[in-house]
Amino acid sequence: MPDTLDSRILTHALATADRPLPKRMNKTRRDFLKFTGAAVGSSWLTLHWPEVMAAGEAAAKARDATAAFEVLTKAEAADLAAMASQIFPSDDLPGATEAGVIYYIDRALATFAAGQKSLIDDGLEVLNVKARAVKPGAQRFADLDFSQQTALLNSIVTTPRVTSTIGHTDTRGFFQAVRFMTLAGMFALPSYGGNRDYAGWQLLGFEHRQAWEPPFGYYDAQYSNQDADDDRS
Amino acid sequence: MTGRKYPTREPVDFVIVGSGAAGGVLAKELSASGFDVVVLEQGPYRKASDFVHDELGIMFHFDMSGGGGKHPQTFRHLETEAAQIQVNPTPPAFYAYTVGGSSVHFSANYWRFRPVDFKERSLLGHIEGTGFDDWPVTYEELEPYYTKVDWEIGVSGAPGHSDPPRSKPYPLPPLPVKSSGVLLEKGAGKLGLHADPAPMAVLSRPFNGRPACIHCGFCMGFGCEVNAKSSTLASMIPLAEASGHCEIRPESTVYRIETDRQGRASEVVYWDAKGAEQAQRARAVIVSANGAETPRLLLLSESDRYPDGLANSSGLVGKYLMFNGHSAAHAFFDKPLHDYKSVQCSRVVYDFYDSDPKRGFYGGGGIDARPFLSATPMFFALAGLPPDMPTWGAEYKRMLAENFIRNMSILGNGTSLPLASNNITLDPNTKDFWGRPSLRVTYKDHPDDHANAKFLQDRAVEMLEAAGATKVWRSPIMDQNIGAHLLGTCRMGNDPEKSVVDRYHRSHDVPNLFICDGSSFVTSGRGQPTMTIQALAFRAADYIRDAARRDEI
Repeated sequence: MPDTLDSRILTHALATADRPLPKRMNKTRRDFLKFTGAAVGSSWLTLHWPEVMAAGEAAAKARDATAAFEVLTKAEAADLAAMASQIFPSDDLPGATEAGVIYYIDRALATFAAGQKSLIDDGLEVLNVKARAVKPGAQRFADLDFSQQTALLNSIVTTPRVTSTIGHTDTRGFFQAVRFMTLAGMFALPSYGGNRDYAGWQLLGFEHRQAWEPPFGYYDAQYSNQDADDDRS
Repeated sequence: MTGRKYPTREPVDFVIVGSGAAGGVLAKELSASGFDVVVLEQGPYRKASDFVHDELGIMFHFDMSGGGGKHPQTFRHLETEAAQIQVNPTPPAFYAYTVGGSSVHFSANYWRFRPVDFKERSLLGHIEGTGFDDWPVTYEELEPYYTKVDWEIGVSGAPGHSDPPRSKPYPLPPLPVKSSGVLLEKGAGKLGLHADPAPMAVLSRPFNGRPACIHCGFCMGFGCEVNAKSSTLASMIPLAEASGHCEIRPESTVYRIETDRQGRASEVVYWDAKGAEQAQRARAVIVSANGAETPRLLLLSESDRYPDGLANSSGLVGKYLMFNGHSAAHAFFDKPLHDYKSVQCSRVVYDFYDSDPKRGFYGGGGIDARPFLSATPMFFALAGLPPDMPTWGAEYKRMLAENFIRNMSILGNGTSLPLASNNITLDPNTKDFWGRPSLRVTYKDHPDDHANAKFLQDRAVEMLEAAGATKVWRSPIMDQNIGAHLLGTCRMGNDPEKSVVDRYHRSHDVPNLFICDGSSFVTSGRGQPTMTIQALAFRAADYIRDAARRDEI
C-alpha cells in the first residue's frame, strides 16, 4: 500500500487466521502470551479474491434492523449470526450481534461478495449435518448451545475439507470467509450494513473524527510536558 | 479550475503519459513555461471532496488501486516459473488509478537520497550477479531540485543529526511528534542511536494556498480530504491547469506510442472514457506512467523498426525492477498511544543508512515508527495481534479492545539490489479488460536484501524493548510478491548499451521520447523514493524546456 504498506503482513495474518481456540477457555493474559497456535492453511481470501473483486462496490445505506434480508433465508441468517457471535461474542462490550454484523453479511453476499455465496451455502450444509449429530433434536447450528457451537467450530477449523453428499467442502475456507465478513461487519463503515452505532470502533477506542489536535497519546503528551519543563528551566 | 482543451489531430508540444509524482511535476513545469501539454491519465479525476474514510473500499476492494477485475496482473518469483494471475489481496505492482497517481494514496514519507546513494558502485565495488551501478547524476546536481520539491510541493521537516546537505531550510516545521515517534526516540536514545524528525510531504502549516494537516489519520492508502497531503493532485495539477496551457485528460488508457518514418514518436494512442480509440499527436512524448506501466507501454509499442519495444535497443526496458526491502516489528505498550491519529511517521532513525561491509552484506536503510497495523480498525482486527494470540472468540475480542490504542510498529525501509531477473514483461497468456497483455511481474529478493531487512528488524526489536514495550513481535521476512515502489525498469545512464535513458531522461533510441518516473532509478535508495522521483522530474523539466526552446527536441 501506499508507501511501505506491506501487504505481505496482512496476507500472512489472513493465512494463519484459522487457528483453533485453546482448550482451556478461562486463560490469563500470561497464558495467552505462551499459547502458540498451529499456523496452517491458505487463506480463503487468497484463493477466492477475484470473485470478491469482480462484484463491484457496496454502497448501501445504513439498514433498518427490521428489514428483510436480501439473500439470506431466516435460517441461514440465524446460523451465520450464531457463527459471527462465536467469532466476536457479546459480553460486557458489544459483539457481532449488537453491531448488526449479519446485516453486513447479507448485504455483502447480495453485492460485492456474491461470488462467496456457494461456499457459504455448502459450509452451512456441512455445519448443520454436524450440528444434528451433536445435539438430539437440533436441526441447525443455531440450535446448539453456545459451548457446543464453539466446539463444533473448533473442529471445522482444524479440518480443511469435508467430503459429504454435496461433494468436497472447504470448511476451513468457509470459516475464514465468515470470520472476514464478521470483522468487516464489526469494523467497516456503518454504510456497509454493520458496525451499528460505531459499536466496533468504540470497542477499539477508535474515535471517528475528521480532525485531531496534539497531543494524540500518553507518550507524546509527556514529551510535550518535558519540553515545557525544559523551557521553564 | 479546468484547463483548456486541445484537438487530438493538432500536435501539442508535449503529451505526458501519467499524472502522478513525476507526470504532475512535468505538466506544471512545462505548461507554466508556455508549452502546450496534454496529460493522459488512466484513472478518474477524483478531487479532495471525493475522498472518504472507507477502509473496506480502499484497503480491501481497491477502489482506487485496481488489481483483479479489469486489471489482472500475473506474478512469479523466477523466470523459470509459469506466472499465475495474482490473487493475493493486493496487486503485485501496486499503484493508484487516479489523477495524481500514487502521490494521492502514498503515506508521504519524503526523505531525500544522500550523496552516497548516487555513487555506491564506486565506493563499494561491483556486486556479482547484479546491475549495481553509479548514477549518471550526483547529489550535488540534484540538490537544487530537492529544494524545489521542498518548496513547490510542500514538505514539512527539520534537519536532524545526519541531514544531507541542503541549500535552503525546510519551508515548514515538522508535524507534531506522535507517541510512536517519542517511543522510537526513547529506544534509540538508550541504544546510543538518533531519531530525527520525519520529513513528510504533508503540510504542518497553511502553505501555497493549501490548508494544514488536520491529523485525521487516514493517510496510508487514502486520498487527503483537505489537500494537506502534497500529492500532485493538490500541489501541481491545479497550477498546470491555471497556466492555460495544460489539459488533464482522465480515464484515458494509453496503449501505444506510434513512431513516424524517421523513427520519432509522433502520436500517443489511447482509449477514452467511453472506450473509443483516440490518438493525440505531439512534438514530443514524456512517459511517466510508473515503474511498471512505463516499461509495459514501451514493450507494447513494438514495431518493425523497434521490434523489441520502443527505446529498448539495450534490452533493459522492464529489467532491474526494485521494490525496496522492508521489515516490520510490532509492539504493545502500557499506556495508550492513539497512534491512529495524524500522519504515519514522525521520527526516523538514519544511523544504519550507509552500507557497511563489516555487516557481511550490501544494504542500509532508515527505521521509522508508525501505527501501521493499528492505523485503521479492520487492518488491526485482521492482522494486528501477535501470532501467539487467538484469532476469534472472547479472548481475541478482549485483546483487540485492549491493544488497538497501545500498538505501534517500527519499519525497516531498505535497499533492493538491481537484478536483471526481476522485471516487468508482457504476459503471453493473460489479457486485461482492454485486451492488452497483462503486466507480468517477476520478482525475488536478493539474499542481501533479506539480510538487510533482518538487520534493520533486529535493531527495531532492540529499540522497542529499550523503549519499554510490554510485548514485541516480528513479521516474518519473506520473499516479496507485492511492490508499491516500482523502480529501476528504464534505468538512466551514459552508455546506451547499459541504460534506457540518458542523464536527462531522454531515451537513447528515440530523440523526442523522454521517460521520467521511478523507472529511471539506477539503485533503489533506502525505501522512500518519491522525493527523488520528483527532484528528477523538476530537473528533467528544466532540461526539456531549454532543449525545446532551442528546438532540440
